[in-house]
Amino acid sequence: MELALEARGLRKCYTAAPAVSDVTFGLYAGEVLGCLGANGAGKSTIVKMLTGLSEPTRGQVLWFGASIHKDLVAYRRRLGYVPEEPELYSYLSGWEYLEMVGTLRGMDRAKMAKKIDALLALFSLAPHRHSSIGSYSKGMRQRILLIAALLHDPEILILDEPLSGLDVVSALIVKSLIKTLGERGKAIFYCSHVLEVVEKVCSHVMILRKGKVIAYAPTAELHRMVGHASLEQAFVHLVADRDAEQTASEIVQVMSTGAA
Amino acid sequence: MELANQHWERLSHGLFLRLVRHCVDRIFSGDESTEPGELDLSIATVLALLATPTAFVSLFCMDHYGSLLLFLRGQATDFDPYTASSSDEYFFIVLAMVVAGAAAVWKWDRLLPDRRDYANLAPLPIASSRIFLANLAALSVLAVVLSLDVNAVPSFLFPLVVCALQTSHVFGVFLATHTLTIVAASAFGFLAVFALLGILMALLPYRAFRKASPYARCGIVFVLMALLTTTVSVPRKMEHLRNVSHAWAYLPPPGWFLGLCQTLRGQRSPAMTSLGGAAIVGLLFALALSLAAYSLCYARCFAQSAETMANLPARRAARPSVVFRLLDPLLLRSAFQRACYRFAFRTIFRSEEQAFALGGFLSLGIVIASQTLLAAMNNRPSLTMSRAIPSAEILSVPLIVGFFLILGLWSVCAIPAPLRENWVFRFHVDSRSRECAPLARKIILTFVVPALATVCLPVYSHFWGWRVGVVHTALVAMSCVLLMEGLLVGFRKIPFTCSLPKFKSHVIVSVLLLVLGYFAFTSVTATVESWALVDPLWFVLFAPVVLGVSVWLYWWRRGMAENDRRILFEEQSITVVEVLNLNS
Repeated sequence: MELALEARGLRKCYTAAPAVSDVTFGLYAGEVLGCLGANGAGKSTIVKMLTGLSEPTRGQVLWFGASIHKDLVAYRRRLGYVPEEPELYSYLSGWEYLEMVGTLRGMDRAKMAKKIDALLALFSLAPHRHSSIGSYSKGMRQRILLIAALLHDPEILILDEPLSGLDVVSALIVKSLIKTLGERGKAIFYCSHVLEVVEKVCSHVMILRKGKVIAYAPTAELHRMVGHASLEQAFVHLVADRDAEQTASEIVQVMSTGAA
Repeated sequence: MELANQHWERLSHGLFLRLVRHCVDRIFSGDESTEPGELDLSIATVLALLATPTAFVSLFCMDHYGSLLLFLRGQATDFDPYTASSSDEYFFIVLAMVVAGAAAVWKWDRLLPDRRDYANLAPLPIASSRIFLANLAALSVLAVVLSLDVNAVPSFLFPLVVCALQTSHVFGVFLATHTLTIVAASAFGFLAVFALLGILMALLPYRAFRKASPYARCGIVFVLMALLTTTVSVPRKMEHLRNVSHAWAYLPPPGWFLGLCQTLRGQRSPAMTSLGGAAIVGLLFALALSLAAYSLCYARCFAQSAETMANLPARRAARPSVVFRLLDPLLLRSAFQRACYRFAFRTIFRSEEQAFALGGFLSLGIVIASQTLLAAMNNRPSLTMSRAIPSAEILSVPLIVGFFLILGLWSVCAIPAPLRENWVFRFHVDSRSRECAPLARKIILTFVVPALATVCLPVYSHFWGWRVGVVHTALVAMSCVLLMEGLLVGFRKIPFTCSLPKFKSHVIVSVLLLVLGYFAFTSVTATVESWALVDPLWFVLFAPVVLGVSVWLYWWRRGMAENDRRILFEEQSITVVEVLNLNS
């Protein structure tokens, strides 16, 4: 299998304390690499460095052996990206937004229009394609982001919480889609804090804690390596600072009595 | 300010007052989605900005009414403050009305509870009527604070300046009537604008109102600016209006309030009484209409918020963008330009901030141009349109509109659409692309060229012959191109995607240059052109200007560093000291 994307010794500092420190991993064609971590673990920072939206303080991101910053434009032509938040211009319609993205990518107009119409229909957005994005629900916006990321048939996909806001049916479609794309040889970096989805969809898992990689293995083997029956237990063992059940009891106590 | 905040926090702890405080905060505070780099002004800044125009005007009045100057003019003994100050009184009334009205237009989106308020407040155990009354109370607070803030300085400074040599009785009457009048005028300005927009919102379907709102607000701004231009002619008209009983029919609303002021000071002619009555009736009518509009709008935008948004029908299929497709092969050669040109036009016409800002610039230009044209026709009516050669004032009209249009478009391109959304451009666009200035050029020319071809050329050709029409249109076009190129030097932003420029130390110089530039662009150009149309040798004067500007632009662009050509998504402040982090 070909190494499509590689992160070597990534480090990012916004303040004195690094947000991400010494992160190294490889993403192969046909592999779906899940990135798990609690809030603030550094997942989105890594995603921004992988997409070139943020430069690492130290370390490199390599695309087929060469730094992505050597030719960022060529790299991004092969890259599809779904950001964590669906930040879209609310006064554009879904169709207009996708047309803008397709045009910015230099796609042929006629082919682009056909693809957009087809993908909008498959993602159940066809009736709303001319409505302004401002009137869309969160799930609809997320689907627009997914279409924009897939429009140009990228080789590498970087997805940051792609199922956020999606209804059950749409989420099933996207999960199935990710699996299919992986089988077709795409390299997919899947960032999430939802364990069940990562377990089902990803072939490999990387767990982050406070900006560092603390576990990196095939999904099927990770929980065995840590000596737990499931990925959830392994994750809790590796990442969680406090006992979930005790915290829940304390919350109920504060609710009823006002004191911890 | 801190103490006032703490005091206000302590006072507003009860449920109703807490709701009122929430509504006031929503009206004044920045939107939570406002990012650093977007326009966000605190309460103190907004109040200071609103108080500035009238404060400055009050200071300038010292020159007119200074007791030493009156003494030197020999007017110290027979100076009647009520009569002598009527023009300035009218000006203060207009300014108070315009500033308050403009504030209502500016803050319109925050005046009524919105979806976010509905999402947060509706699930709580608070009666809808309480929220209704709390927001009404907040609006009343706003109207009162606005009226007092806008008029705080002139309410004591102007009477002080005018009545410095008068008795305390005269001063007291002047102070009381002046304060009452300008506060009432402010309140009228605010309430009238609120009522207009509110009625429109109540009558139109939601989607239609969202589309019409920027244009309606631009129209109101246009009317407010037009009111400013009445400050010369109306007071003069009123001096002759002694015995006309329905004078209010002939005058704009500030004239009613001047009549009220004069009536309260004892100048009880039928005209003044009629005007004073109209002012009171107008104020009460605006108040009633505002309350009605508020009730109707509250029902629509808050009480039925869930239904309104959930049941929005999907839009009809958009008409094919024929215009864009025609421009693709002619004008927009690259993918970057095609995508960003469409984005820019959709932003200008659909995003309220941009549409509003452009409308403001254009309104100002049209108002000044109209005033210039009217002044030219008033000065020499028999000569203006029938001469073989138009006067310099007539020639300056398209230059004035062109100046404000180009300046407006250039300024508007710097106002960001929501900044977080610009990630799509950061991701897809090559930052080394040098197509930002050519793109901005095409956007500006899309507005300017049709205006020249469809208005300037036919009008001047019709009145003064095709030769004058062609020459003048060519000169206006050349001037517009030079102005545009000057403004676009170093332009490296995709319109609407870069944060606002930080306050720069040379902003005062920039403003001065713009003012000087305006006079050079309009008056000087038009004057030389009017000479040149009589004696074509004067056209030679334009050659060195064109050459000089072209050479300067060429050398400036040549001298730019590579890094200074990269696309900018975030304005950097120039720091005196920079930390280099050499250890990391």
